[in-house]
Amino acid sequence: MTTSNNESSRKLTANVKAAGCAAKISSLELKQVLSSLPKQHCPELLTSLDNFEDAAVYKITEDIAIIETVDFFPPVVDDPFLFGRIAAVNALSDVYAMGGNPVIALNILCFPTCDYPLEVVEEILQGGHAACAEAKVTIAGGHSIQGPEPVYGLAVTGVINPRSILTNGGAKEGDVIVLTKPLGTGVMLLGLKGDSLSKQESEQLLTSLTLLNKGALEIAKKYQPSAATDITGFGMIGHATEMALASGLSAYLYIDALPFFPGAVKLAGQGFVPAGAYGNRNTFGPSVINLEHIDVAIQDLLFDPQTSGGLMFALKEEPAMRLLKELTDSGLTASIIGGFQTGKPGAIEVRK
Amino acid sequence: MSEQESKDNANSQTGTVSQKLDLRGLMCPEPVLRTKKVLDGKPEGAIEVLVDSDINVMNLTRLANSLGLSLESNECENGYQVVIGSASQKKPDGAPGHSHSATQKSQPDSVSTGAKPSNGAALSAKTNTVVFIAKDTFGEGDRDFSVNLINVFLQTILQAGHRPQAILLANTGVRLMDPASSVYKVLTDFHEAGVDVFACGLCVEFYGLNDKIPKEQITNMYAICEYLFSADKVISP
Repeated sequence: MTTSNNESSRKLTANVKAAGCAAKISSLELKQVLSSLPKQHCPELLTSLDNFEDAAVYKITEDIAIIETVDFFPPVVDDPFLFGRIAAVNALSDVYAMGGNPVIALNILCFPTCDYPLEVVEEILQGGHAACAEAKVTIAGGHSIQGPEPVYGLAVTGVINPRSILTNGGAKEGDVIVLTKPLGTGVMLLGLKGDSLSKQESEQLLTSLTLLNKGALEIAKKYQPSAATDITGFGMIGHATEMALASGLSAYLYIDALPFFPGAVKLAGQGFVPAGAYGNRNTFGPSVINLEHIDVAIQDLLFDPQTSGGLMFALKEEPAMRLLKELTDSGLTASIIGGFQTGKPGAIEVRK
Repeated sequence: MSEQESKDNANSQTGTVSQKLDLRGLMCPEPVLRTKKVLDGKPEGAIEVLVDSDINVMNLTRLANSLGLSLESNECENGYQVVIGSASQKKPDGAPGHSHSATQKSQPDSVSTGAKPSNGAALSAKTNTVVFIAKDTFGEGDRDFSVNLINVFLQTILQAGHRPQAILLANTGVRLMDPASSVYKVLTDFHEAGVDVFACGLCVEFYGLNDKIPKEQITNMYAICEYLFSADKVISP
């Protein structure tokens, strides 16, 4: 399925150790590093580093705030245009995850120009451009350097009314969780790299990876979710943990309700599990209740780092049912996969 | 055949190593892919794989499990040595299997105890039947009598040893979970016997029973639908 321009050219993912959000530094390591930095105080900053938000929000006036985020990673696919597009869709997602509207973006590029023809860079940037055009975001510039491993992404600025920010910390007891994309991109991308996906499986994967979270957010906003985030490098469990922690609640997930990419469970069972999933397991596994009662392949998928993952909303059950209907009616994958309850903050209970 | 097996057993726990793969320096998913390719060819005896990270070992363990093969790993110089047993010596009948079982235990054991559901002892009597109760009476009739009937109905199920997957209560059915209800006791007995007993959250809220029903037994319509659609049989009195 992966397109290669010609057989002799090097595959883009050939030297990549960890692809996409699987390349993220583990949460444990990150916490350790960040804790050594001095705390800064900025009254206009509406988000707290402590709550693991997707992006920073800075208040300009009572009605206007800007959202700042940056996201980049090594190639997840061999097609440079597709890689650019996925990286940009993934970077824009953090703005949607805060409930905002991205407006301008800057390219971030690292590239070994000696190893690949220059057209490859061009195609990566064109892919990023295409995603931004679809999102009605202007690419206003960027920065590029030479490096041993290709890396691409965006720094994105969005706008929002400070009163409508969707944070991690707003979930309420009794809220259910709506998820808007299937899970398992880390496992599936390894399968793709290993040429182990059927045509249909890789098409489904790539459709999801290149799908902007813009549409899902626009629909969800009408139902006034109490919290939102996007599922990325820390996986389903990691992001559920962060939302639960920030909201002072515990969460539960219905294993049978989780939407996985077709083929993902089988691949995970055969050992197509990215290193990041093991890292996430080390970080978040200890606070998961009943984990040992579920299939190892499903466990791996719960910890699987997601690239360009879906949005996760917390809201009351009744509007959630209507939201679910509208999302699926509009052609999006959406499921109610669990909810929030009182309990040890940040604990995640998995239920069959 | 038996000669081959005895040779395997004599040689080592996992049998004769027929092939060695040095997969150090390769990046994910190459080690799994290449090992899988060799194992798919159903080699005689075991294969030995060298890899350079514990991630590879964990992924190879998953691969071996999916194929029902044994696996042993040892840290060695510059990485890990992984020996994966071959399918041909998976079940040595009458072999002096004790040294063997350490690595092969999970697979054959779970098969041989197949008469019992593998979900764990607590669930052993549970069937995939769901009881769905959407009102607080058993049919229509004299009210007290109909409430009493539902109690009798549930008591009978319990005493007959039936353990449904779940008992789901909706609409006025959630009133049965009120500790003041005569049916509360039998529902608690079911719950203690390992049966999932859940009340519909919207209904609990509507009938103002939030303080009376334990939060962990309150669920939502989505979960209720999941239970109903995954059940082999749904019984609604």
